[in-house]
Amino acid sequence: MRAPLRLLPGPRVVGGVLCAAGIVLVLLPARFAPALGLELLAAGFWWWARCSDEPALQVPRWSWLRRPATALWLAAAIELALPGPAGGLPVPPATLAFWSRVEAIAVVWAALELLAALPLARPFSDLPGPLLAHGAWLPALLPAAGFLLLWRQAPRWLDVDEVREGTAALLLLTAGLAALRAYGRRRWTAGLRWLVVFDGALAGVLVSSRAVSPWIAVVLWAAASGTHAYLLAAELGGATPRRGPVLAMVWRTTSWVSTAALAWPLLAAAGGLAPRRAALALVLGGIPVALASWVNVARLVEAPERRAFARPVTGLTLSRMAPAALLAGVPLALASAWWVGFAPNGVYALLALLPATLGGALGLLALRRAEAGPGARAGQAAQRLARRAFRLVVGLERAVVAGAMHLLRALATPLRDLHTGDAQEYLLFLVGVAVLAILLPLLR
Amino acid sequence: MSPRALLSDPALPVALALAAALLLVAAERRRRTPAATLGLLLVLVPCALALGSVAAAGWAVPPLVAALVAAALARERPDPLPGECALKLVWVLGGAFALTATGLALLAIATGVTAPVEQWSVLQLGLSQRMVWGVALPLVMLAGVVLLGGAPFHFWVADLFQGAPAALAPLAVATLQALGAAWLVQRLAGLEAFTDGATLARALLRTAAAAAFLAGAGTLLAQRGPERRVGTLASLQGGLALAALAISAGRGPLDGMVAAWLVPWAAHLALALSGAALLARLTPVEQPPGAPGGHLFRRHPAAALAGLYALASLAGVPGTPGAALWLDVARGLAANGHSGLLIAFAIAWLAAFTTALRQLRGGFGVPAATRPAHAVPATIRAALWVSGAGLALLGVARLALR
Repeated sequence: MRAPLRLLPGPRVVGGVLCAAGIVLVLLPARFAPALGLELLAAGFWWWARCSDEPALQVPRWSWLRRPATALWLAAAIELALPGPAGGLPVPPATLAFWSRVEAIAVVWAALELLAALPLARPFSDLPGPLLAHGAWLPALLPAAGFLLLWRQAPRWLDVDEVREGTAALLLLTAGLAALRAYGRRRWTAGLRWLVVFDGALAGVLVSSRAVSPWIAVVLWAAASGTHAYLLAAELGGATPRRGPVLAMVWRTTSWVSTAALAWPLLAAAGGLAPRRAALALVLGGIPVALASWVNVARLVEAPERRAFARPVTGLTLSRMAPAALLAGVPLALASAWWVGFAPNGVYALLALLPATLGGALGLLALRRAEAGPGARAGQAAQRLARRAFRLVVGLERAVVAGAMHLLRALATPLRDLHTGDAQEYLLFLVGVAVLAILLPLLR
Repeated sequence: MSPRALLSDPALPVALALAAALLLVAAERRRRTPAATLGLLLVLVPCALALGSVAAAGWAVPPLVAALVAAALARERPDPLPGECALKLVWVLGGAFALTATGLALLAIATGVTAPVEQWSVLQLGLSQRMVWGVALPLVMLAGVVLLGGAPFHFWVADLFQGAPAALAPLAVATLQALGAAWLVQRLAGLEAFTDGATLARALLRTAAAAAFLAGAGTLLAQRGPERRVGTLASLQGGLALAALAISAGRGPLDGMVAAWLVPWAAHLALALSGAALLARLTPVEQPPGAPGGHLFRRHPAAALAGLYALASLAGVPGTPGAALWLDVARGLAANGHSGLLIAFAIAWLAAFTTALRQLRGGFGVPAATRPAHAVPATIRAALWVSGAGLALLGVARLALR
């Protein structure tokens, strides 16, 4: 007996097509396109999960992806139901203002969940994706989709100040946690997945800070996130960028420069704040940047050659050309920012370079120190501390969420018990009649 | 038939819903005696007739239809569940009709007239005690609210889907709900002449709608049985009708609202419930995440998708004809500044949407190496296709009108 749906290609292709279509739809300006895009992305992960070797584990693990899509459906529905003064329906201004806020929150909720900035599904980047051969790479799609959503939907949330400020704070926290996790993880692929989260979160802070135009943030993000995504993809195919000292150094530099370029306008813009707030912003933003720079430089170690004689590689390979392509946009974006009026205070512009420089320099030092000693032991202790700190934060968040869920369940249980038998339903009927026919009219 | 006529005239959708029910009667004919089959037909046809002329249904039609449905359920002998369902219908709807009759008597005593429009004009003169009409008006509305099946009166709808025969439940529920809405329209006609009464009626309708949405959403997400899920979705549709009435009641003649929203809503409800309820019967209860898909989904995925389309339309998933009905109500609530009710509405919509997609994922489940050997009977699949095709037609008509 042949299986049904036999005309469909394999799960790898179906999931891939669904995810690709989802990302494209996220970028389209149509009203329901982003919601449908995230729904397709969630469907892609579901398809891979149901066809994996462990569907009972993978399907529930990735089921949270429907939550961001739901938030976006709500945002789209609000826009459709409240078309504003131009829509022809005379909606009261107070109602319009309230629902505009709800719409902004819904959009931001969807993006923040994908960027691991909400406590509900924060550690998703710790785990590989549901597809066997390419699983390690797949979670990198989600922060990318989150940032693209944040950027494309910027007009719907940037003008709502409370939402914008809240988003910036959550993303800054996420950038810190992502850098901490990337530093704490032993596996390079897991570290790279967290660096992709770091890039998305930092670029999101850059958009919400309004320091530069959103498209400049996108170009800088594309360089940083593209570098890490390429490295991650390459790890699954022979770790080509780490083969040979020259190529490893080129990629180390690319990774460091792109991260520094993404962080620099954000930290430099702190000069526009009051001195105390500026110092706080530099410290809070600088620590994760330094940590991420360290990981970029120190963790990209040259892969050992397994052959007796290294295979000679000549000509322009993808791994040799990609750094140039990835970095090409960085000077263009920074020059454009300056051209359109981004002129930070000189001192702050220099101070903003400090975290990345310091992190990179320490990373180089760590890279050269191969022998075991007090420095290496201190590094291991720091990594353990980073792992514990991350687990503590995630554990606390989970405890708060679980507490809220328990409370909700405790409140819902009496309502559910009203449905457990006919006697209770008599009671429900009487309660309904009493409230509707006697209590409400008397209370008015 | 023009797209406008297709949407405003319930004849074709109701005929398709009846056809789907008759296909199921045909599928089950060997299980029943000819007398039992005839008995079922004697309920289905009046239900379809009442649904087809819902705007003109007189005051006696709702109790008669309810009695017919209860009698048909009581005849389903070998299974105790339909009998229990019949009993519940009798005490819930019978009690509601009795209380409503009390309210009608109170209003007649307070005003000295029996026609609703005249009663409101008399009450506007202020000659009657507020206490009297303040209790009488909600009691008069009670039958309509209970028939619509919104919480806390939502249990009978889910019970009917679980306990009644597959052929009877969708048409019976849709008819009773549509008659409930029509009852409210008739009783609230001319209420704009009585300002205090209009304010009270709108507040009651808003409260009932909010309760229906919130309790329905909470119940829906925790509901395990597929049939009961469809019942809860139907009770959310009752909430939708209550919200639509809360927008229009006491603000002028309701004829426009009846023609533009209520009649299409009733026709859509009958068609969507036909497909969704049948799909629920063919969906396994509470599957674990790693389990293979249901029998219907593995053997006849296209027919399952037709049923899912009906469920999605019932849940108001964008792109389905049901979504337009949800959207109309949302726009009305926004235009009237009812943000509180709109929040409850949004929660209910998201819960319904989530349920539809969960059903899709759960239905198809994990791919299995083989497909089931036995096919689902062709008449049952045809019923799913009739419902799905009817809804697709409604969707195309809406698109053409746009």
